[in-house]
Order: sequence, then structure tokens, then C-alpha cells
Amino acid sequence: MAEKDQLIGGALAAAACGLLGAAAPGTSIAAEPASKWDVDTAFLYYGESDGRVQDASLSGLAIRNFGDDRKLSLGLTVDSLTGASPSGAIASNQVQTFTSPSGKSTYTTPAGEIPLDSSFHDSRVALDAGWSQPFARLYSFNAGLGISTEFDYQHLGLNAGVTRDFNQRNTTLSFAVAMGKDKVKPVGNVPVAFAAMGDVVDEDGTSANRGSDSEDKDVLDVLFGVTQVVGRHTLLRLNYSYSDSSGYLTDPYKVLTVVDPLTGEPVVRTPPPGVEGPGGVYLFEHRPESRTRQGLYGELRQDFSGKVLQLGYRFSTDDWEVDSHTLEGRFRFPLGESSYLEPHARYYTQSAASFYRYSLAVGTPLPDFASADARLADLDAYTLGIKYGHESSGGNEWSTRLEFYRQSGKAPDSVLIGNQRGTAQMPDFDAVILQFNYHFKL
Amino acid sequence: MRTKLPALLGLLCLAMAGCTNLGVKPWEREVLARDDMQPDANPLDTALDDHIYFSKEGTSGGRGFGGGGCGCN
Amino acid sequence: MTSNLEMINRFRPAFVGVFLSLIVCASAMASQPTLDLTRYRGQVVVVDFWASWCKPCRDSIPWLNQMRARHGARGLVVLGVNVDAERADADRFLSAIPVEFEVIFDPNGVLATEFGLRGMPSTFVYDRNGKLVSTYNGFREKQRAEHEAELEQLLSSTTQ
Repeated sequence: MAEKDQLIGGALAAAACGLLGAAAPGTSIAAEPASKWDVDTAFLYYGESDGRVQDASLSGLAIRNFGDDRKLSLGLTVDSLTGASPSGAIASNQVQTFTSPSGKSTYTTPAGEIPLDSSFHDSRVALDAGWSQPFARLYSFNAGLGISTEFDYQHLGLNAGVTRDFNQRNTTLSFAVAMGKDKVKPVGNVPVAFAAMGDVVDEDGTSANRGSDSEDKDVLDVLFGVTQVVGRHTLLRLNYSYSDSSGYLTDPYKVLTVVDPLTGEPVVRTPPPGVEGPGGVYLFEHRPESRTRQGLYGELRQDFSGKVLQLGYRFSTDDWEVDSHTLEGRFRFPLGESSYLEPHARYYTQSAASFYRYSLAVGTPLPDFASADARLADLDAYTLGIKYGHESSGGNEWSTRLEFYRQSGKAPDSVLIGNQRGTAQMPDFDAVILQFNYHFKL
Repeated sequence: MRTKLPALLGLLCLAMAGCTNLGVKPWEREVLARDDMQPDANPLDTALDDHIYFSKEGTSGGRGFGGGGCGCN
Repeated sequence: MTSNLEMINRFRPAFVGVFLSLIVCASAMASQPTLDLTRYRGQVVVVDFWASWCKPCRDSIPWLNQMRARHGARGLVVLGVNVDAERADADRFLSAIPVEFEVIFDPNGVLATEFGLRGMPSTFVYDRNGKLVSTYNGFREKQRAEHEAELEQLLSSTTQ
């Protein structure tokens, strides 16, 4: 189940505000009337190693200028996700059998491998619309709407923001609010928290461990920002963000393995005769009903005679105790009159959620909340990439970027049981990102 | 640390606002007006990246919008 | 006896130095943009500061051309002051969007500082007596009619 960034609609709408500026030196200035439409299209391929997730998407963002900086932005993204995702169950020295999310079949994982739920297949369509315009000379206002839908998840978002310039437009203060309402409709219904993965059921039966057919989630995001011109060649930005999520925040497809407290190996279970089902005890995870997050982001943009360095750092902390640091840099340098090359590097590190567990020991009392989702463990990730762009004489630009992403996680020692210390395996992966963009004006 | 974040930002804002000699004259914005110096130069790329990292990592967002540019109008 | 020729030879580096300094000084002074509005007394003068990187200028310049065409005969003078740091950028703009009025180049922002620009583009309107009556900060489509009306009003008044 892919999740959404609540502020995508806002980012797209608000980005239209930031599209002040003129033709870069070295490019031609069109003698015909200023173009009304500014369109960016992209094809993105994302592929993980070892038969895991692959995603292909097609996106378009069209911005219509109505003069005097009034802009309408329209975005559409269609993507298709296939491949396998880790279910949260751990690797074992035995073959493991699991029931698929639909409850209609089983799948097995070879000994020594991390269980992946390969029945994942998802298509998503997302639409965004936004409006931005100045008012009272030093202010600008923006608002947006976004919806996205996939077969097991729906999202509706609204956002609004305002900016005010000070100090001869050297300082800009911005404030934005975004609200999202999401609905989760998992395959096989919403599992009961900590219920055990059930046996395969026939067409008419419903598993006892399943509850309602859908659950809601509400998100509120607030952003305060300052953008400051430091010098002729330098721009600095600082943002504070606050995010509050409430409702169903659990991943309905993820489980935790129940293990022997001494060996740390999954306990074995035999399904009833004539019935197919899990060969172990796997409990559906349970996350808190609320999450409050705060972040601080700083970015520097520096020009070096036509070459641009962009350096950003973000710190995030929340009441799930997932703290993260992100450091990201891009350096764009021109190649000749109309092309550029832009290498990119990103480093990300996070600390595990307080309720992150590698597995659960049989016989111990259940915690209030627990999840074995590797995305909530200690983890580090690196991205290294390069982008190449070329602007044609008509002012249209095409570009391509290739990036490599490596994620490696760690289960804190405190959550490892028995012999798991030293043998615990995290579902680390590498991914390749390939993107083609075509940007044109009408 | 959590509760100190808003205070930290407030302090930094005051520091920046206090430096009112920070900045350039309105006619000195030729570099800042360039497309590649805009803080939201590639909204589509940013949105695509954010979506990937949101799906694969535990935290997301916070990058914001607005400011910089030619300072015109 | 030291001849004049010998004197010149001995002090050649100094002479060359002074001569070059004078040239540099003179050219620096010559390249200092000047704007003397007194020559236009009796006419309505519009001084517009623009640059190649200023997006609204792509609309304000054609509008100024239009004003010049419509009202030039009645005594409207338009003076453009270009503040591009690089002359090449200004020339590229001018080849795409021709300008039908005089342009003064102010790459170091000397005139801009003198006039105290608070934004880009900046337009200063002087009546027939040479008095500053209006300052437009920026250029917006919706203000075209308003500004043109103001110019017409100034043009219809006579010098005092």
C-alpha cells in the first residue's frame, strides 16, 4: 500500500508562487507574447533489487499564467506498482508459509530469506489543482486541492498558504496549512490489532481476525518558513513544520513473528487438517492512533558564476521517537550554452520508533503497540545520482536523471530476542531511479 | 528537543530579521532571478522524490515554498 | 646639461603612468551615467528602470513604446535606464524586444541608487515643470489604463 505525501498538492500549488524570475542568461528571450502555459512532464522508473518493488509512473504538471503573477496549476500522476514488499516477518532457518492478505491463498518463503509478500499490485491516480496570486503588493496567497486513489487507499487534501515580503523583498515569510483525509480499504478487511494471521478461508467466509472494511486517517500539516536573500549570489531558507496525524496509522498488511524466547526462531504452527494456512504465528501489527511530528529544515542556494550549489539539512522528531536527519546536496554546472549536469547526493538516518520490534517472544505480555516494519527501525540511506538537462532553441527543455539508492537498517539490540543478536536480518535493499522529463511552453 | 524546535526557529527568524542590512538592492537581483536559483525550481521532481522517500522512510516533508527570485512587482 | 629628451626618457614610466591614469579617469567619468532632466523642462518625462532579468519588464517596455507612440507628439518623453550588470544581457533583450526610446546604461547602479529604487521595474513620472508626481513600483496589467490616464492628464496641463 503506497502512502501519500499530504503536502504534494500544496507543494505543487505553492511552487507556482515561487516561479518568479526570468530567462537565464544564455537563453533566448522570446519576442512573441509571454507563454501562457508552462508544462512539465515526467516518466519515472523506480526499481528495487531482488525482485522487490518496481514502480513506473507518468506525471504532468501544467501551469497556466493569467498575467500579474496569477497562476493555476494542474497536476496528474498515474503510477503502477508491482513486486514484493517485506511483510515484517523475519527470516528463519525453516521454510515459512503465510496466508496472503486476501485470505484466499498462501505463499512460502525459502529458508534463510526474509519473507516478502509478493501479491502486491497497485495502481494509483493522483490529481492536484492549485491557485496562487499576489494581493496587496507584498502578499501572495495560494490554495490547492488534491485527490488520489488506488484500489485500497484514497486521499483527499486541501491546502492554503500566504507569503509576505519584507525588506525590499529580501525577506519572505510564509505560512501554510494542509489538511488530509485518507481512507484505507485493505484487501481482506482491516485486521484486528495483534490478531493472528488466519488460515485460508473460502469465498464466503471471513476470517475471525478481520474487522471493518475501511478505516480513516486525518492529517494536519502546518508550515512556517523564512526565505532570506543573503547576497547577490546567496539565498537562505528556513522552515519549521508541524504535523499531526490521527486515526488508523497502522499498516494493515504488516505482521510480527512470534518467536521462541531462547532461540529467537519463529514458533512452528500446524494448520488444522485439510486447511491451508500459516506455518507459524504471525500477529498483525498495531500502531498508535496519533502521531505528532515537528521538523526544522534549512537550505542554502549559492551561485558560483553560473554554477549553483544547493545544500539542505532537515531534522525531524516525533512522539513515536522516530528522529531523523537528512543532508542533501546538488551542484548544477552548465555544459556549453544550453546544457547542464547536476550531481546529487543525499544521506538519511533515522532512529527506531519506540514500538518497533524485530519480533515478539511467545509467553511475554503483548506491548500496547508494536510494528516490525523496517521503515520504523534504525536506518541509514544513501542516494547518489546525476541529472543531465538540455534546453532547445525554442526554450523547451528535456532532462534525464539516474540515481542509486541504498537503504540499510538495524534492529536495536534491545528488541532482539535470544539468538537473534548476531543473526538478525533486515530487509535492506538497493534501488535505481531513472527519470525522463520534458518541459515545454505553449 | 521536541519542544525547543519552535523556539529555535523563532530565534533564527529574529536573527535574520535583525540583520536588515542583509540582502541586495532591487536592481542587484540578476543572479537571484535565474531559474536555477529559484527555491522551487523543479516542483515535479521534488514531488516525485518526496513520494519515493515518504514510501520508503519513516519521516517526510517540510521543505516549504516561496521567496527569492527577481523580486519584481 | 640634461636635455628635455633625457628628462622625458628618465621619467617615462611616471609620464606613462599619469597619462594612463588620466585616460582611465576620463573614461570612468564618461561612463558614469548621467541623467539631466532639466533639458526636458516643458515636457512630461517618464524615467523607467528596467533589466533583462525582470519578467514584468517584458510587458512594461512594449507598453512604454506604446505610450511614446501615442503621446510623443504631445510632449511625452520616455527614458529607459537599464541596470543589467552585463551589457550583453541588455543587448539580448533589446534584440528581442526593441525599444523606441532612449536607453541609458547604468550597470553599476549609480542612477538606481540616486533615484532610490525600491523595486523593479521602477517608473518615475515628472510633470511639465520637472516635478516628480508619481512613482510606480512594479508593472501590473490592471494598472495600464490608470497609468495612461495619469499621463494624459499631465500632458493636458501646461507649463507654469
